Amino acid sequence: MKHDYFKWQLTGLIAALAVSFMAAVVFGAVVLPVRPFFQVVIRPWAKPAELELELRKIYSIIWHIRMPRAVAAMASGSALALSGAVIQGLFRNPLASPDVLGISAGSSLGAVLAIVTGLTQFSSLAIPAAAFAGAVLAALFVYAIAARPGGTHLLYLVLAGLAVSSLLNGIVSAVLVFAEEYALGQFIYWTMGGLEGATWQRTVPPLPFIAGFSILLLALSQPLNLLSLGEEQAHSLGVPVQSLKIILLLTASALTAMAVAIAGPIAFIGLMVPHLVRLLSGPNHRSLLPFSALAGGIFLLVCDIIARTLIAPFEIKTGIITALIGGPYFLFLILRHRTKGMV
Amino acid sequence: MNGPILLEADNLSYAPGGSNSDRLLVDSVSLSLHQREIVGITGPNGAGKSTLLKLLSGFIEPVLGEVRYGDRSLTALKHRERAVYSAFMSQKGPDTFPFSAAEIVEMGRYPHLESARHPGKTEREAALSALESLGLGHLADRSYTTLSGGEQQLVLFAQILVQNTPVLLLDEPTASLDIGHETQLLQVVRNLCRKGSGAVIALHNLNSAAEYCDRILLMHQGKVVSEGKPHEVFTEHHLKKYYHTDVRLGTNEATGSLVVTALPQKAAICSLHVHLIGGAGSAVAVTRMLFLLGCRISGGVAHELDSDTKIWRSLGVECITVPAFAEIDDESYRKAEELTTAADLTILCEFPVGQGNLANLKLAGTTGKLIILDDDSGDHAREFFSEEAGELFNVLAGAHRRINRDELTEYLYAVSEGSETL
Repeated sequence: MKHDYFKWQLTGLIAALAVSFMAAVVFGAVVLPVRPFFQVVIRPWAKPAELELELRKIYSIIWHIRMPRAVAAMASGSALALSGAVIQGLFRNPLASPDVLGISAGSSLGAVLAIVTGLTQFSSLAIPAAAFAGAVLAALFVYAIAARPGGTHLLYLVLAGLAVSSLLNGIVSAVLVFAEEYALGQFIYWTMGGLEGATWQRTVPPLPFIAGFSILLLALSQPLNLLSLGEEQAHSLGVPVQSLKIILLLTASALTAMAVAIAGPIAFIGLMVPHLVRLLSGPNHRSLLPFSALAGGIFLLVCDIIARTLIAPFEIKTGIITALIGGPYFLFLILRHRTKGMV
Repeated sequence: MNGPILLEADNLSYAPGGSNSDRLLVDSVSLSLHQREIVGITGPNGAGKSTLLKLLSGFIEPVLGEVRYGDRSLTALKHRERAVYSAFMSQKGPDTFPFSAAEIVEMGRYPHLESARHPGKTEREAALSALESLGLGHLADRSYTTLSGGEQQLVLFAQILVQNTPVLLLDEPTASLDIGHETQLLQVVRNLCRKGSGAVIALHNLNSAAEYCDRILLMHQGKVVSEGKPHEVFTEHHLKKYYHTDVRLGTNEATGSLVVTALPQKAAICSLHVHLIGGAGSAVAVTRMLFLLGCRISGGVAHELDSDTKIWRSLGVECITVPAFAEIDDESYRKAEELTTAADLTILCEFPVGQGNLANLKLAGTTGKLIILDDDSGDHAREFFSEEAGELFNVLAGAHRRINRDELTEYLYAVSEGSETL
């Protein structure tokens, strides 16, 4: 990794993330006047009663609607992309990702079960915790099916993941139906994800975990490089292969679960973003992981801006935008794999 | 060998399914590696060489037995302690992301860095100089996945070099290399070992093994069936038994080490005993032909240093020789006569006759089953430097068949099919 180059790219991505975040707050169905916007945006802890009547509405739009939504987009986009980058490195396979492997669907199922059983009444962490449990179980299940000595076979991995995904999504729908909470919105949210109606309540509890898991994964980027050379070689270079694999798989699953707890299983980010970043700045996980995290945040913020503004005042679901971009990209990857034998 | 022991394995056994599997890939293997020593592991495909190396590297655990690095058990070592002590290069390179060659090499420094430190400038420089030392400096920024098989193997070897461990475990490190790079790599290993390292190398190329290894372990079906210096292990008997191939052993004139040559599979077309009277290289072509037909060959009397003598020696043909340029003595003549008498057929090749080999013409005259071969493939045409020799030949020519090599082949086919008699 050329170091100056790395710093420039990092700075550029952080700047782009900041700009996307601001744009997500500025743009929306309602066009906000400039002066009041700044008056409000610098006073997050202002009491609405202290504000002039005109500013109260703007305050609500910014601090209760757009800010939590932007934070949710940034956090879940980052978490999904970072977890995707780790899972691709772990399986030495750019077609792997949390959604392809069924980890997202497992998280959804966990979250839905927490809701219908009423666990959510007891703690704000019930959804993240249940999503985490679901994610880990799904990941281990798929891994057990697809893993063979000396590596995992691409085809088995993807097929097992797709099968487990459909199965779990089916169970999600079934649970929602039997719990008599079946509403189209709920169904779409827990199978496709979405950012509409993001609240501080739902967004904030997973944030410290996202930060913690992300730091852990970033710290493991060099061992992950070695692991991506193959297990024998990683072992020879002093990597505790078996424990590293488990730590990476569990942490990446946990990170996915946190993203799902915030915004549902938004598709293709974990697949597409790391792959694009790898094409642009190389496969070294020391840059790939931080860049993917930043780019994932940017990507989901931008997708959400498009979703909210394209046919305003109506909204397209963010998950639909990512799926519309991601589906063709997945096909492109498969075609590329077929013609070049590599991705 | 004399240095302290770097690595020791006691009675290692490995079975893929654990201890209750009845198929042992490695069966009760013990070995020790001393400082400054290169131990070669050879054996036919599937003998367990790679599995043994994986056991020594700790990548897989034996169902029985123990590996010790120095005086510590391998299982008691931390991962990094192990990795600064031994480096393992597996036979199959990684199927990985398009890292640059320099990035791959740089990863060899990992066990030397504190756990949270990423490789920096020092590591990059070490990687570049390792690549440079193997003549691969120009590949540093190339993507590993676009390199040729041989280049990839050298890049991995460069990684082993920067890992800089006392023990090297190399599994077929030269499998994809051309002869130049193979020599280069093994020479680098030898130099490292002279400075105090030790290496265990699995090799298929027995000549390289004989050239570079101080000690050889020959494996067969998971067991070590022979161990010792190259000339003690690579015997015709062993190689025939375990590789199912006839080989000839010779000496590399340049280095004095053993040379193993596989012989082509003999056809069992003709089982006659043919004695060749040659000289001046006149019997080389016919010897090869008879060898491939499966004949039992004997030869003589020939002179040392003659091409005929050389090919007979290299093929293990029984032959009677006298010193170069010497006249044929009675003792040799008598021995050769025994051979011609015993032979089903004697062939007189086309060579010039002077005083030194006049006895060979006389020898030809003592057997009734003689064929005179008109074959100009030797170094000199048939000519006679004395009247006596010319007369002797004319007598022989009057009494026996004269045919060329193609006709000889047809004749031998016909004899072995029974459509012609001797």
